[in-house]
Amino acid sequence: MTDSFESILDESISALQAGIPIEEVLAEVPDYAGQLRPLLYAAMLVADPNPQLLPDERKEALRAQYLAQAATLPPVTPTIAEKVEAVFRIIRRRLTRKAVLSDLITITVTVFLTLLMSALILSFAAADTLPGDWLYGLKRVSEEVRLALTFNQADRLALEENFNQERIAEIEALTQQNRAAVVQFRGTLDAREESLWIVEGFTILLPDDVAIQGEPQEGDRVEVMGLLRTSNVLIAETIKKIDQR
Amino acid sequence: MEDEASLLERVQRHDQQALAEVHDRYFDQLYHYLNYRLQDPDVAADLAGEVFLALIQALKRGSPPKTSLTGWLYAVARNLAADHIKKKVTTVPLIDDLVSDEPSLTDQAYLAQLAPTLRQALHQLTDEQQHVITLRFGQGLSLAETAVILDKSVGAVKALQHRALASLARFMPVEVDYDG
Repeated sequence: MTDSFESILDESISALQAGIPIEEVLAEVPDYAGQLRPLLYAAMLVADPNPQLLPDERKEALRAQYLAQAATLPPVTPTIAEKVEAVFRIIRRRLTRKAVLSDLITITVTVFLTLLMSALILSFAAADTLPGDWLYGLKRVSEEVRLALTFNQADRLALEENFNQERIAEIEALTQQNRAAVVQFRGTLDAREESLWIVEGFTILLPDDVAIQGEPQEGDRVEVMGLLRTSNVLIAETIKKIDQR
Repeated sequence: MEDEASLLERVQRHDQQALAEVHDRYFDQLYHYLNYRLQDPDVAADLAGEVFLALIQALKRGSPPKTSLTGWLYAVARNLAADHIKKKVTTVPLIDDLVSDEPSLTDQAYLAQLAPTLRQALHQLTDEQQHVITLRFGQGLSLAETAVILDKSVGAVKALQHRALASLARFMPVEVDYDG
């Protein structure tokens, strides 16, 4: 008898078990119907679709007897070698391609979410900081990130202006608190004397070593970087003429 | 549900919870297996209980199931059933002897009469053939599941299934060319 007949027999049994009538199953393989018929009837007649259940009381009694015997088993203390083997067995089981991929995804997502949450919390905490505060650098970095992610030119210019207004507000806050710090802002050069300029309403002292770029004139936009002293005097380090927009 | 390998590891450590779980998970199917083969609910219940007590004895001896808990439990059940059948030799009349008029396989009443006799005829098969028939048609297991329990290839189970059905078909009122 060939293996193919055994396979046909098994496929026919599967069809029978799926509820297909025996004559329909046989009609699918007419060449083998004569051989299959008695075998399929035998398979059908020996099938037990509704197995009898043991009464619960009897089953419970047998279970109790078994558990009483199980309770007499002494506890097993694994040796160190068995413990090590158990650990390796768990690792081997976890080292399937699917499990490794799943672990990598979980770790990546967890790390990403942790970093994102930390960044959001710190950015929130840094929002009201002033130059010289320990989280101020983060405030400036988050502003740079927002600028880098703004691709529309008009939106980018509006955002730059917002940030510059924030710089000016910071200098006003530092002045009120009489705090010294390195500051940077942009504004219009309102007036200029030899060593004293007025930019955006702030008075700026120009020491001998100040670096001036672009020969700015009154009415020009300039970027000023310098040291705000506790005496509320702003001493310029660099002044740079910037393009009119 | 916990996989069988983990459950077996806990059983090997004599974990009481795992031992209880083994009973809850396997008792019904082993009882059905034994009842199908022996056609005697009382004896089947007793022997199903013995299968689990044999597990405790094996653990006490320090020789627990090593690889397949299901395979081990079914092997014990199979041996207990075979021992019981040996003690109780029965003869099965041919189906033709049961009816006086001409039988027909499409006659439902006739088929209903055939079924219990054919179940009795199971005892005329070899132990291995009875095991396969019980797993496939008594328990409704797939070929692959049966192969795992028998620790044989699917092809070997197919061949066993064919020979077993051909032997059973000898009790049917039709010619069976089981040798191909």
